[in-house]
Amino acid sequence: MTDAAAVLDGFAQALQPAYLLYALLGVFLGTAVGVLPGIGPAMAVALLLPLTYDLDVTAAMIVFAGIYYGGMYGGSTTSILLNTPGESASIVTALEGNRMAKTGRGAAALATAAVGSFVAGTLGTLALTLVAPVVADWAVQLGPADYVALMVVAFVTVGALLGSSVARGLASLALGLFVGLIGTDTLTGQQRFTFGVPLLADGIDVVVVAVGVFAVGEALYVASRLRHGPIEVIPVPRGWRSWMSRSDWSRSWRPWLRGTAIGFPVGTIPAGGADVSTFLSYATEKRLARHRHEFGKGAIEGVAGPEAANNAAAAGVLVPLLTLGLPTTATAAVMIAAFQTYGIQPGPLLFENQPVLVWTLVASLYIGNLMLLVFNLPLVGLWVKVLRVPRHYLYAGILSFAALGSYALNFSTVDLVLLLGIGVVGFFMRRHGYPVAPLVVGMILGPMAEEQVRRTLAISQGDLTALVTSPFAATAYGLLAVLLGLALWARRRERQASAREMAMSG
Amino acid sequence: MSAPATTPDPPVRPGARRVEEYVLGAAIVGLGVFVLVDTASIAVPGSANAVGPRTFPYVVGALLVAAGAAVLTATALGRLGEAEDGEDVDPEAGTDWRTVVQLVAFFLAHAWLVERAGWPLALAALFAGAAWTLGARPWWRPVLIGLALGVVLQAVFATGLGLSLPPGLLEGVPILDD
Repeated sequence: MTDAAAVLDGFAQALQPAYLLYALLGVFLGTAVGVLPGIGPAMAVALLLPLTYDLDVTAAMIVFAGIYYGGMYGGSTTSILLNTPGESASIVTALEGNRMAKTGRGAAALATAAVGSFVAGTLGTLALTLVAPVVADWAVQLGPADYVALMVVAFVTVGALLGSSVARGLASLALGLFVGLIGTDTLTGQQRFTFGVPLLADGIDVVVVAVGVFAVGEALYVASRLRHGPIEVIPVPRGWRSWMSRSDWSRSWRPWLRGTAIGFPVGTIPAGGADVSTFLSYATEKRLARHRHEFGKGAIEGVAGPEAANNAAAAGVLVPLLTLGLPTTATAAVMIAAFQTYGIQPGPLLFENQPVLVWTLVASLYIGNLMLLVFNLPLVGLWVKVLRVPRHYLYAGILSFAALGSYALNFSTVDLVLLLGIGVVGFFMRRHGYPVAPLVVGMILGPMAEEQVRRTLAISQGDLTALVTSPFAATAYGLLAVLLGLALWARRRERQASAREMAMSG
Repeated sequence: MSAPATTPDPPVRPGARRVEEYVLGAAIVGLGVFVLVDTASIAVPGSANAVGPRTFPYVVGALLVAAGAAVLTATALGRLGEAEDGEDVDPEAGTDWRTVVQLVAFFLAHAWLVERAGWPLALAALFAGAAWTLGARPWWRPVLIGLALGVVLQAVFATGLGLSLPPGLLEGVPILDD
């Protein structure tokens, strides 16, 4: 029972007062950036990376874990309370949640989202606790060719499935792979695509790329089409009583559990991340609902299920991230970069070499989830204020912190110019439907994939068949084909569902 | 919300949009061709085994060319990219290029000022310039907030994190210049 001992050890660590404070800081920051439009968890972690260099590894990981979960909570508050007419149905929670808020049931929508997120987050973390060590034990036996197969799977699914256009997703991925090439080749010491700029010899920092596409690109894009006029936040009635009635509870608990059951497995496979799981959950709830006529007018099941699925998927994403070092979403990719900054390589050996760190991180996820439940609902007034931040200051602030984070890396203006250049690329990508996540994933996974390919071929003395002959690799490539088929099918379902939704509401 | 007096421009006019899509696709193909050509100039040391420092760049270059070509094909077939939406994006607004150019200019001014006027003042210029561009009025309010933000962050960095951003004109001021 060494595992159980390690888990308890992790809790003992995470429960130290200082670490509890860091967890609180993390979930607070995470919720705030989740609430703010224009900032997501990926960008928040990237922006805070340079500012946490002074923290010890464990504290930094706890802060990042808090931001990761907190961002999910905050996002639902925004989609329920922000009244933005004409926005397409990109966020499922907004479909029902926003309508519930408009009919005066905003508090119930917020409550079912928060409790559902807690239930799903806790069950998801529990599943992570049980599944991750098993996966890690198994993954230790994987050879370089097997890792190549895993990375190819991640490349194809992330590139082809994120965003609405396969061609544009792959272009974004290829761009990321190219950025990853810039610098000095680790095996031979040769410079590649450095254009004689000394700073580029070390490669472009992941922080600059992530902050560039997420923060600067987003700020420029939103600024180019900024919604002017007052910010309409739907008011929420005060008081505990209005939160959830008995019937709200009885209509919510099954969707929470179903959402969890859908979200966690979808999160563990690289199939487009949380979005797919929320759409699947929404479709399921709609089919099973007794109050089907309420869907589209504010059905609580349509908030409870997808919110739970979203958070369970967030926990599921951590399984390949921690056990295989495989990021399947943009946030996960930035988290990998954060780990690497501290000299930690996520993967099967992490559980052997740094058990205390891993389990402290997992324990802080449980704790962070509880904190989020306890703090979020009472603080809803604060989040509403955050939502009302004037947009000119919000986006000026995002640009300022982006500049700070990149400059603080090397104290070099070259990084600032690079940041702006990457931001402009991000601006055009958003304008034309290129998903930005594959770029970040490609940049981080590309160098790892190259190293593993070269190791495989060094062992096999140049025999290319070594890449596919290992049983695991062969299975992975086979599954990839199946997975692609399934994911494209799920995506078509999701599109049909949202098209029907649009038709109904329009 | 009252209906606007004139029909608003669609987010991006179809004709201009298509041209932009072609330019982007062509740029991706162009980058791929450049990668393929430039890879030939990467030195391969004698010790490298079957897969040297050139192989992977060739694959990436080829992928760029293929993806760019796929984008061009999709554009020609009329499958344009869907512009991203967001909470603060006005789906009916046309592109305000002037705002984008001004923001880029203020950012460049910030990069130029950091090592000349110092980080706090450079940050104030970026924050105030960006907020003013996006509609903050009267002009002195974002300037004051920007100055306060710059000085506070400088102090936090110097005292809390032990990182000294260049103080520039504020050199020698206690707390700010660590």
